[in-house]
Amino acid sequence: MELTLANHSSYPRIGDSAEEQLLRRTIAQREKGEKADADLGAAEEHMTELALREQIDAGLDVVTDGLIRWYDPISHLARKLAGVRITGLLRFFDTNFYFRQPAVHLRIERTKPLVVDEFLFAQRKSSRPVKAVLTGPYTLARLSIEEASPTPTNGGSGGGPRGAAAGFNRLLDGYTTALAEEVAALAEAGATLIQVDEPALLRHSSDLPQVERSLAALAARKGQAELILALYFGDAAPLYEKLQTLPVDVLSLDFTYSPGLLDRVRSGSAKKLALGLVDGRNTRLEDASVVAKQLERIARGAGLDRAYLSPSCGLEYVPRDRAQLKLKLLAAIKETFLGSNR
Amino acid sequence: MSREKLRQLGIELPLFPTTSVGSFPKPDYLMKARADFAKKKINPQELEEVERRATEFWIRKQEELGVDVLVDGEMYRGDMVAYFAEKLPGFEEGGLVRSYGNRYYHKPIITGEARWEGPITVEWWKYAQGLTSKPVKGMLTGPYTIMDWSFNEFYPDRRATCLALAGVVRREVEALIQAGAKIIQIDEPASSVRPEELPLMIEAMHAVTDGLPAYFISHLCYGAFETIYPGMLDLPVDNFDMEFSNSGLDMLDLFRKHRYTKDISFGVVDVHTHVVEQDSVVEERLRRGLEVLPREAVWVDPDCGLKTRTVDEAIGKMRTLVSVARAFRN
Repeated sequence: MELTLANHSSYPRIGDSAEEQLLRRTIAQREKGEKADADLGAAEEHMTELALREQIDAGLDVVTDGLIRWYDPISHLARKLAGVRITGLLRFFDTNFYFRQPAVHLRIERTKPLVVDEFLFAQRKSSRPVKAVLTGPYTLARLSIEEASPTPTNGGSGGGPRGAAAGFNRLLDGYTTALAEEVAALAEAGATLIQVDEPALLRHSSDLPQVERSLAALAARKGQAELILALYFGDAAPLYEKLQTLPVDVLSLDFTYSPGLLDRVRSGSAKKLALGLVDGRNTRLEDASVVAKQLERIARGAGLDRAYLSPSCGLEYVPRDRAQLKLKLLAAIKETFLGSNR
Repeated sequence: MSREKLRQLGIELPLFPTTSVGSFPKPDYLMKARADFAKKKINPQELEEVERRATEFWIRKQEELGVDVLVDGEMYRGDMVAYFAEKLPGFEEGGLVRSYGNRYYHKPIITGEARWEGPITVEWWKYAQGLTSKPVKGMLTGPYTIMDWSFNEFYPDRRATCLALAGVVRREVEALIQAGAKIIQIDEPASSVRPEELPLMIEAMHAVTDGLPAYFISHLCYGAFETIYPGMLDLPVDNFDMEFSNSGLDMLDLFRKHRYTKDISFGVVDVHTHVVEQDSVVEERLRRGLEVLPREAVWVDPDCGLKTRTVDEAIGKMRTLVSVARAFRN
């Protein structure tokens, strides 16, 4: 099995050194009026380059821009869409990280690029392929509220069930249309790998048909790019068979929530897989030989020719020094895996 | 309201008692002292002297504003979990991770057995209580939240971690009660992160509070409470302290569907905006709350700790909520 080492998505924006505190410092100074927008942009670019360098130095084959500019995975995209305003803080799934909730008051419309410029900058600065990352329409819709509706959806709760469902579908359709345009723009900009994160699906697995329709709209605009569906913060094992039919090229799976997923994967996959075997949420470093053995079991059982090896989720949830070690661990796991298969 | 319980504890409170969640902003002189301490320019005793000065400032300020149940303002704490982790054997300080926006904290790492080796907050509580005749809350972070907000490199799983920490927190509760604390707040803002773990959180809170003579409050905030309500009513505490302003009062819809059965500290000001709300805004929030909640059960406070606001903003928000609570009493 040929292994490609890929970062999942986010990377810490901060570390302990003065250089690694640049963005935090600049944002604080910008809020006080001591720095200009241009200073903030320069700090974001510097920290993006640093994140790229650390990923490349760790030996990754595929990198991301670290989502360094993202305020959070939801509002970073939603705030750039017409028809959406950003409101209060809510917890992001089961993390102790908080996002600002979008409130949709008019028809959602993409009037400018969401992450294309960020992708282009990272690709210019990277010697390795850069994967573009988007939070998916379903997760955006689940974590938004619809203000215009007489029955606020708020993730499906509130109002009568029929009204709530209609409101949610409007949000999903709006985000799907906007993100399909972004996928097309990314493909046109040269992105060969486009990842769509849909962690909310694992909390609402009965909504798979809606997610499938939404992904089909994105897939129709992806051009030659490889479309990756990333699922994390939940157990994907019960959905595993159904995931195989989704209109994506790659399934990125989080193994840390799911004791049964390894056996499911061993039964084979019609899709290329991104194996999230290294825990992106905990500082404990996995034993490379143990993970290499898991890879061997998958390789033997599933008969996969190629796979990505990744952290289970974005690495922003661990401190920078541990994030670096986790990335280096990926390389050590690959080395051990290849050594035992020579 | 569990007035009978409070009365048995020797505490009489007016209708709509006012309080705050725990933290207040650190005055500039304390921020400077903390920075000096980090650079080793001053020693721990000098830092503590400044922390005591700031604590006294907030106790006096709360008295001046007419707050009914006071807090020490947490002048000696950084983060609500990291503070306890710094004091407990079994924890190491981790690197910085983000909580939201441009806010970061040192997320602790559990690297060994967590043990209680002596009081952590008791001296600060005694100091604050010694400055006022009004009741001062004992302020702790709950075992479920300490577990969830720490990295774990020692215990086999989340359950083992949480229950071990419950034993530690209970020892601190006992020490606070022995020192004279009657109202103890045990914060569990992580309560809704994994709804399937609500039974674990309840079991852990039983391990902390069962059989102990105090009025217990638990602060819960910024969560998906629709996923654990009404089951969360089984948490063995007397009062839930909850944010309502930031969330557009949406919990009230849940309370309409299933009756709320405890006392509540009702968050009437948003702690994540610099704007000090007009009285009319706070009145409207409280009025809407009282459509669903019995007057006797309602305390009035901010959504969450005010430490991220400026000193003036925090005072302004507290002044507003005290003014509104008084108007509602009449």
